[in-house]
Amino acid sequence: MANAKLLMTFPVTAMSHTLAEYRARGGYGALEKVLRQMTPQQVVTEVTASGIQGRGGAAFPMGRKWGVVHPNDGQPHYLCANADEGEPGTFKDRWILEFAPHLLLESMLIASYALQVRNAFVYIRGEFDGPYRRLAGALEEAYEAGYLGEHVLGTDFACDLVIYRGAGSYVCGEASALITSIEGKRGYPRNRPPRLTVRGLYQKPTVINNVETLSNIAWIINNGGEAFKKVGHPKDPGTRLISISGHVARPGVYEIEIGHPFAKFIFDDCGGVLGGRALKGVIPGGISTKVLTGKEIEPLTLDNPSLASAGSSMGSGGMIVIAEGTCMVRLLQVLLRFYHHESCGQCTPCREGMGWLHRIIDRIVAGEGRPEDIERLYQISKWNDGTTICGMGDAAGYATSGILNKFRDEFEYWIEHKRSRFDGTLECPRSS
Amino acid sequence: MQHLIPEFDKLKQRYPAGFESSLVLPCLRRIQEDRGYVASEDIDGLVDYLGVPRIQIEEVLSFYGQFRRKPIGRCHVQACRNISCSLLGAERILDHLKERLGIAPGETTPDGRFTLSTVECLAACGTAPVLMVNDTYHESMTPEKIDALLRSVP
Amino acid sequence: MPQIFINGTPVEAEREQSVMEAALANGFYIPYFCWHPELSVAGNCRICCVQVEGRSWVEIACNMPVSEGLRVLTDSEPVKEYRKSIMQLMTLNHPVDCGICDKAGECKLQDYHYAYNGARSISVDTKVRSTKFHPLSERIVLDNERCILCSRCVRFTREISKSNALGIVQRGDTSLVRAAEDHPLDADPYSDNIIDLCPVGALLSRPFLYKSRVWYLEPTPSVCPGCARGCNVAIWHRKAEWKLHALDPQQNARIDRVTPRENAEVNGPWICNKGRDLAKIYERPRATQAMQKGKIVDLDTALVAARRLIDGATRPLALVSSWGSNEELEAFRQALGGRFTAWVKSDHVRQAGEPLADDLLIVADKNPNTAAARALFPQQDDGERAFPPDIDLVLVWGEGFDFARLPPKARVIFMNSYLQPENGHADVFVPISVATERTGHYTNFQGTVSAFEPCFARPAGVADAATVFAAIAVAEGVQA
Repeated sequence: MANAKLLMTFPVTAMSHTLAEYRARGGYGALEKVLRQMTPQQVVTEVTASGIQGRGGAAFPMGRKWGVVHPNDGQPHYLCANADEGEPGTFKDRWILEFAPHLLLESMLIASYALQVRNAFVYIRGEFDGPYRRLAGALEEAYEAGYLGEHVLGTDFACDLVIYRGAGSYVCGEASALITSIEGKRGYPRNRPPRLTVRGLYQKPTVINNVETLSNIAWIINNGGEAFKKVGHPKDPGTRLISISGHVARPGVYEIEIGHPFAKFIFDDCGGVLGGRALKGVIPGGISTKVLTGKEIEPLTLDNPSLASAGSSMGSGGMIVIAEGTCMVRLLQVLLRFYHHESCGQCTPCREGMGWLHRIIDRIVAGEGRPEDIERLYQISKWNDGTTICGMGDAAGYATSGILNKFRDEFEYWIEHKRSRFDGTLECPRSS
Repeated sequence: MQHLIPEFDKLKQRYPAGFESSLVLPCLRRIQEDRGYVASEDIDGLVDYLGVPRIQIEEVLSFYGQFRRKPIGRCHVQACRNISCSLLGAERILDHLKERLGIAPGETTPDGRFTLSTVECLAACGTAPVLMVNDTYHESMTPEKIDALLRSVP
Repeated sequence: MPQIFINGTPVEAEREQSVMEAALANGFYIPYFCWHPELSVAGNCRICCVQVEGRSWVEIACNMPVSEGLRVLTDSEPVKEYRKSIMQLMTLNHPVDCGICDKAGECKLQDYHYAYNGARSISVDTKVRSTKFHPLSERIVLDNERCILCSRCVRFTREISKSNALGIVQRGDTSLVRAAEDHPLDADPYSDNIIDLCPVGALLSRPFLYKSRVWYLEPTPSVCPGCARGCNVAIWHRKAEWKLHALDPQQNARIDRVTPRENAEVNGPWICNKGRDLAKIYERPRATQAMQKGKIVDLDTALVAARRLIDGATRPLALVSSWGSNEELEAFRQALGGRFTAWVKSDHVRQAGEPLADDLLIVADKNPNTAAARALFPQQDDGERAFPPDIDLVLVWGEGFDFARLPPKARVIFMNSYLQPENGHADVFVPISVATERTGHYTNFQGTVSAFEPCFARPAGVADAATVFAAIAVAEGVQA
């Protein structure tokens, strides 16, 4: 299968992120084409034709999201790039921010033109100091070169962009919480209806897209939506940046064509499991996706339909590899502590449920687990499924029930014997 | 924070009209960068400057993990303890830090040099285990690299 | 007008309604904690979940817009199971304080527990502890362990009283309702409405704290006399069957607390803090003995003396109380209106530190019945106007009159409820009842009439003003 590259198309050097190098690679050509030859509606049509789905975790078709925004409705429209990248195991948007910031900016300008956005934002997590400086540098270059401001490339299209820094909150990666954070408040997610594309930032139509999703726009404009559809999987077109980490020999960010064989990716492309150990399991797309065993991934391909058939998802593209001998009880403990810490506290099932899950797993690890604890963990997960204001409650539930489904025996063991079946640490030595 | 107002005025120009409330986060970040933390008088000053309710600023300061209302050590050592870092030895790294610094997470060394914290995933999982020291990521940490880092702090 | 179906029954809904509003307006009950008809939708408690027919999952009703043909179920098995789970989650960390919590007996958490759950907590883990007895303001105490973070109190201060006094700090299950650090809740004249709004015993009135179990009390409809808005209130006092000899008499017959009574035309579901403190007005030391120039006499003697004074006066003037009820004002008009020049008096004026007027409820006139009094007697006493020099008898009805203004030679009949020094200076003093001791009506500044009913018996020796007017009137041309 041809391994197309749409984003990682250049060698990363000390200067490859600069405007000069980006332009030398053909950068801002798509923006020129759009401003000189296309109407906003034509841009929306092209993006819709590409079939591209969101790469932040929810996989919502970008064209469908854009289509809700009514042109010429007399209201300001806003565009926000979601650069909050807080899903544990995920670090692929960071690659774009550090090494291809102009790709993001150009794509956002095209999107702003299409959606009649005068003011665009990049919401970048507060901890990303290095990536922020890269992006801010690129922004300054872009302004100086006339790609932003009152007359973009000398046309009537006006667009300004602000980089908005977060301040340490995972839930601000959720679209409605992100918007509320840009409004200068706590990152509290909002109930829907109304959809954010109807009432978002300061109650105006707002489109939020993931950094990677947006960054594909330049290619789509240069090559066409139909061409994009031919890459990857018919139901999930394009490529994905996968950030792989954990017990893997060659961790890092890789671009794969969607539909790439799962096992091949781990064992060939990424060097297999650390220390030559057997593969115990993989969390495919960030901790909120259900874990798959080493056996289960064998027939699977890296696309949403295939992973859905196995009860999981591509999620945020944050792949975590787990070697044989790792204690899944301790692993779940890390995850539940995280969810507890990050719950915004608004709605009852998540606020109370996250703390409850965390206290139960802590009690199990402390040797005070009870047989009914496993059912209790399932029950709390179910109570958070589809009933919360945002997806975080659901996510914790998927992580919990996913691990329990595949590794229940380890929990039963710990409850009965008051200790891990293994050595209880999570670390795997780098060399055998 | 009064001396920062000319900077804030410039910042305000970059935002559309009516976005005063949005300035809360960037202004607080700048105030904290300047003073080391956000003081009560800074909150009063920001209330006057932006015209937002005081409670909004108090809520924001307490909600977001990066804001603080008290000073900390000169060097803020933040250790990720999330999944990929844990799979690659974050617990061992944290133990090493606790032993070397003689403090627990949340505490500051008596000489005011170091404050130790645990943080959640920093999106540097490929180079785990990771520390964030003040604003900088220190990746692929080992006990030896930690010792060298600690020695390098005045 | 979209037609929806609730449990199979067709319901005519309004265009912009939520399923919650449509259900409640049509006799279907959906439980709720965070929803309130006067506040924005928060949608955080999740107990109002209903099931759309054909879907296997539940969704909140408070944020579900009605649409033509929508079919929802409010009591299906999934809904019932889900409500039970919410009750388990809500009571997970809720302290079992019922035995010492003032809210017991009027607590939604208790009510819904019995209505929808009834099962013990399934948790074996320690409850999360938090602040108890946090002084949110001078008047309100907050227990964070009981708080279910419904945010009604916060939304009230942002949307209704607009003091922006409250917020929620921190996050997750350590979130805390707090007032801003410069204590703005003390300055919010509507702060105590959050006590009514709180569905649980988290926000409690400090003046009312531990005073009484609510089931020993009954609410009597009344009208707040604090200003001309005339907010409708409920005055709570001991039920007749719970007046116990073992308690001191004062406890058996006092205003235990005051809460709003909803009236869409006057005050909605709110009152200001002055209305909460009606005991401060009505329970001042009372005058209970008639006097002549400070010498105690029996009531009949005083009335006869007053009758003689009126009979002998050539130019009598009456200062009419703006706290007199519609009925009392009419009684005055009938008995003495023809005989007396009448000026309407402002019994109360705004005190130092008291809010003057605002966009919500408070109006500048601090008297409950100026409108009715002025309708009958157009002339107003402004507190300073000079008396015509030939006035030889002044009937002062109600408090607030400066006796130094009296013409030096004029005789004085004084009718007052409270123990005040001026009582002894009057030629005739008659103690009269207050509004909580009789039936009556007040007319507010917009002309809306509201009724009040008696909570307590008149003290012995005290007369109703209407009775006094009839008794001291002299029919034209008829000798006393």
